[in-house]
Amino acid sequence: MTSFTITLANQGGAAFDVDHRKPLLQSLREQGVDLPYGCKYGGCITCAAKIISGKVDQKAQRALNNRQINNGYIILCVARPMSDCTLEVGVESHDKLYRNPFLDPLAAHELKADIATPLEAKK
Amino acid sequence: MTNHCCGPGYASPAEAMRAPREKLLYTIAIYTGTGIQKPDYLCTIDVDPESSTYSQVISRLQMPGIGDELHHSGWNACSSCHGDASMERKYLIVPGVRSSNLHIVDCGTDPRNPTLFKVIDGAEIKTRTNLSAPHTVHCLGSEIIVSMLGDAQGNAPGGYLQLSKEFEIVGRWENSMGSIKFGYDFWYQPRHNVMVSSEWAAPNTFMPGFDLEEVGHLKYGREIHFWDFEKKEPKQTFYLGEDGLIPLEVRFHHNPDSSHGFVGAALSANIIHWWKDAAGDWQWEKIVDVDNEPHPEWPIPIPGVISVILLSMDDRYLYLCNWLHGDIRQYDISDPHNAKLTGQVWMGGLLGRAPEVNGVRVTGGPQMIQLSLDGKRLYVTTSLFSTWDNQFYPEIRTNGGCMLMVNCDTENGGMEIDPLFVVDFGKEPNGPSRCHETRYPGGDCTSDIWV
Repeated sequence: MTSFTITLANQGGAAFDVDHRKPLLQSLREQGVDLPYGCKYGGCITCAAKIISGKVDQKAQRALNNRQINNGYIILCVARPMSDCTLEVGVESHDKLYRNPFLDPLAAHELKADIATPLEAKK
Repeated sequence: MTNHCCGPGYASPAEAMRAPREKLLYTIAIYTGTGIQKPDYLCTIDVDPESSTYSQVISRLQMPGIGDELHHSGWNACSSCHGDASMERKYLIVPGVRSSNLHIVDCGTDPRNPTLFKVIDGAEIKTRTNLSAPHTVHCLGSEIIVSMLGDAQGNAPGGYLQLSKEFEIVGRWENSMGSIKFGYDFWYQPRHNVMVSSEWAAPNTFMPGFDLEEVGHLKYGREIHFWDFEKKEPKQTFYLGEDGLIPLEVRFHHNPDSSHGFVGAALSANIIHWWKDAAGDWQWEKIVDVDNEPHPEWPIPIPGVISVILLSMDDRYLYLCNWLHGDIRQYDISDPHNAKLTGQVWMGGLLGRAPEVNGVRVTGGPQMIQLSLDGKRLYVTTSLFSTWDNQFYPEIRTNGGCMLMVNCDTENGGMEIDPLFVVDFGKEPNGPSRCHETRYPGGDCTSDIWV
């Protein structure tokens, strides 16, 4: 088993060794970390966390738009670590997760991946 | 009173209107998405004005785990099995939209202290039916059907889960979803062999929050569907277009002979009316259009967002909530083609018309409503859905939701917020929670259908 170290910056820097094959939510909960979650299929955003450093594979997530991804959000119920990571977890990390769409519209490249217009494709 | 010999509910809407006044309410409250790591729960609220605990939460039933997002609920039996003396309105089915768990709550044994009878695990529902994200619950005689908004991976259109009266999974109710793109609410009118269903979006689209831009990419609904109820398959679709963006709550007339029904198009902020014409064909029209309101600092005007509609038991009044504007409206729909505005009250909302009511800061806007059987008391809650609350009303995290009551004039029309009734969910024992749909133990204006 390849394992990586996950550090939770907003939980006193607590560190956990996790299996790279398992979703982070599962690994962290199994080690006693109390985290929010909902759907467990990557679609509902309740478990979103912010990645400060490191890399994850979250191809299975369907909840985040590109702006949220650019702001560092990952979906813990489906994200698997690809390196050691430092995260902020829970709603304390959600400062940039939600926006009022009438106040702050998304640009075409900031939509979800399946409907976004890539920046380089724009004239 | 008549029919003590019979099953649950009432012989007719007219008989329901003569039922004793409601003394208890069941309202769900959530912690999902609030930052408080506690389960969502079902509140029992005392609404007996003679009681010393009037206008208070008197018991709380926690769900077994966190993250359900309780939302809507429905009874195991309603007036649709009034003729069946073996049936009893005893169990409330309380789904978790996010977890897909179905909680079966025994409200009959001790109505003031409901208990958890059974949980149907969301994982089992996904495995056996490829469905997730339960929403509306209706009983069908002795069977129960639940609209499920997604497949097991949160993609649209989902389908309908059927449960037996013993709360076992029967399987998929529908024989076909036809070309339906999305699911949400449904209501049936058996004497016309019809069910009408509406469209929100795929769970993967609406659960993370509302990206307005996705409407233009056809990620949200704009159609309603007329089903052959006996064949359990869609028969006709109406494309509502810009008039019907995000059609949500579906209400037929309570009168089982009537073909008239209504849906609130949330984003267009319109009421759509349908009926069967003399030739037997279904027709539709727009009967209410709420204008968008400009905001001094925002680039895009604010739509009303009609999050709910409801019909009084005598089918005379239609109530709607503009969750983002902050008003509740009462329309006289005696002539369903011509809705007449007869009442309006304000609570919360983004326009700043009524930030405080009865001493409580209203965070959110009027959202779910439930009307007494006699049509005189409308109970209102303020939270829509955790992620959408977090976008539009972020202060709800610390303030919580609230429940208010509106007194309705059933003779001349008109509404007034009751000055003595308020339940402040900002002061709940485990911290601020958010309240959503309400049910009455004896049935209410959105729970019962007559066959």
